[in-house]
Amino acid sequence: MSPGPLVTLEGATVGYGRRPILEGVDLSVEAGDFLAVVGPNGGGKTTLVRSVLGALPLLAGRRTLRPGVRVGYVPQRDHVDPVWPFTAGEVVLMGRVPALGPGRRPGSADQEAVRAALGLVGIEALAGSAYGELSGGQRQRTLIARALAAEPTLLVVDEPTNGMDPSAELATMDLLRDLHEGVRIAIVMVSHRLEAVANYARSLAFVDKDQALFRVGSVDEMLRPEALGALYGRPVAVRELDGRRLVYPVNGQVRR
Amino acid sequence: MSAFETFLSAREIWEVPLAASIVAGALLGALGVYVVLRRTVFVSAALTQVSTLGLVLTLLVEERVHIETEHATEQLAVAILFSVAGALVLGALRPRRLPAEATVGAAWVTASALVVLGVSQLVHAAHDLGGMVFGNAVAVPAGDLAVIVLVAAVCTAVHLVFAKELAFASFDPETAQALGLKVKLWDAVLFLTIGLAIPVTARALGALPVFAFLTLPAAAALLLKVGFRPAFAVAAGLGILAAGGGYVLSWIWEIPTGATMVALAALFLVPGALLRRGGG
Repeated sequence: MSPGPLVTLEGATVGYGRRPILEGVDLSVEAGDFLAVVGPNGGGKTTLVRSVLGALPLLAGRRTLRPGVRVGYVPQRDHVDPVWPFTAGEVVLMGRVPALGPGRRPGSADQEAVRAALGLVGIEALAGSAYGELSGGQRQRTLIARALAAEPTLLVVDEPTNGMDPSAELATMDLLRDLHEGVRIAIVMVSHRLEAVANYARSLAFVDKDQALFRVGSVDEMLRPEALGALYGRPVAVRELDGRRLVYPVNGQVRR
Repeated sequence: MSAFETFLSAREIWEVPLAASIVAGALLGALGVYVVLRRTVFVSAALTQVSTLGLVLTLLVEERVHIETEHATEQLAVAILFSVAGALVLGALRPRRLPAEATVGAAWVTASALVVLGVSQLVHAAHDLGGMVFGNAVAVPAGDLAVIVLVAAVCTAVHLVFAKELAFASFDPETAQALGLKVKLWDAVLFLTIGLAIPVTARALGALPVFAFLTLPAAAALLLKVGFRPAFAVAAGLGILAAGGGYVLSWIWEIPTGATMVALAALFLVPGALLRRGGG
């Protein structure tokens, strides 16, 4: 594969219909990146990521996807209706559908990719279990496995730890870190919980449409109290404890 | 001679209507799996009314403008046109300013009101409308059976060839679109098959049985927790049993055919409901 960014947005205006949500977005995702897109609920994170995926046409500007880059997508877990009677294996097999094309049935290579993807996320034994009867964490792993079944170079994950207890949240984030470091997949992850991503991401993008805010940089640059205060509209403290970053709001006024 | 023997001896009368009911039951039962899982049960009710509106307008044109549309084929073509157009519009609805069901409900009541208004303006053709709108499974012409078989074959072929695309686009449209699948196209294909099946089968079975067959066999199959792909076969099988069994029972007991079919289809919900209640 040729060198250079996997995907770029240049001078992009993202939004729905004719309604811009964010303007002047310049974003570049490189091989090996772990970018967390952070901001308040309803701030435009998912809109931005859907534009990065190419699922939402830009209102202005340019999106460039490097030739040969395969993108995997993990939607928010509660966007997937558990009433459908698919097994976890059948859900993961869907990751192969776009590459197969209409009219072609999945073959042994596709089944092998499904097994491998389920193995990577540690739920191979659940292949035959009904998706709707899995726990929240298991469903999340199934959706990640489906994205991995497409053998992506870039994995886009939308709010993977929503509604999870702390243990499941940690396990999911550890899994994403392992995929990033072990399988060497670039990750773009959306989260409204900064503390969930502060110890995993390499770079951060702050997004808030109400402040017309889009800012991207390394974790060290972005995890400064001033930058975080501007994003959340209240003072935010950053501390390190036992090698982990802790990010939490404090009382007081934001200095702008 | 027992009622069943009388039934058997009248084979020439019932063989075509029974075959039409069975094929319609199987087709609607299988399509119902998508109707139920996509939570679009009332789209099928609205489409039945929309296709009926097409029939009423055809008859009005015939009476008022004296354009010859009395042929069954032309009436069916107009009903299909209305139903398919309605299916493409209602099937593409996504909740934006209003919940999708509000628009579906509006389509249903508007079409129903226009049907009543249209019928009130009919002078000569009103008596034909009963059979067209509410079906007449006791007397189905061979031509109608041929059309039902043709539509069933087309729908089955489409669903077999594009099974994985239709399933993915319906189950998780957001991801399917993100991965490059043309979700709007596959939604249109799915609702095209449903829009095609409704008016064709409604002529034979009637509006109520069509709505019921798009809901009850699929719901019964899904309650049995047989899995996604087997649910189509089970729902089609239950549709056949309800349509065929309902037809025979209505003949023997001399009770309304469509209602008997619906009641039998509703009975098939019981095993699955008991299974769920038992924690199975």
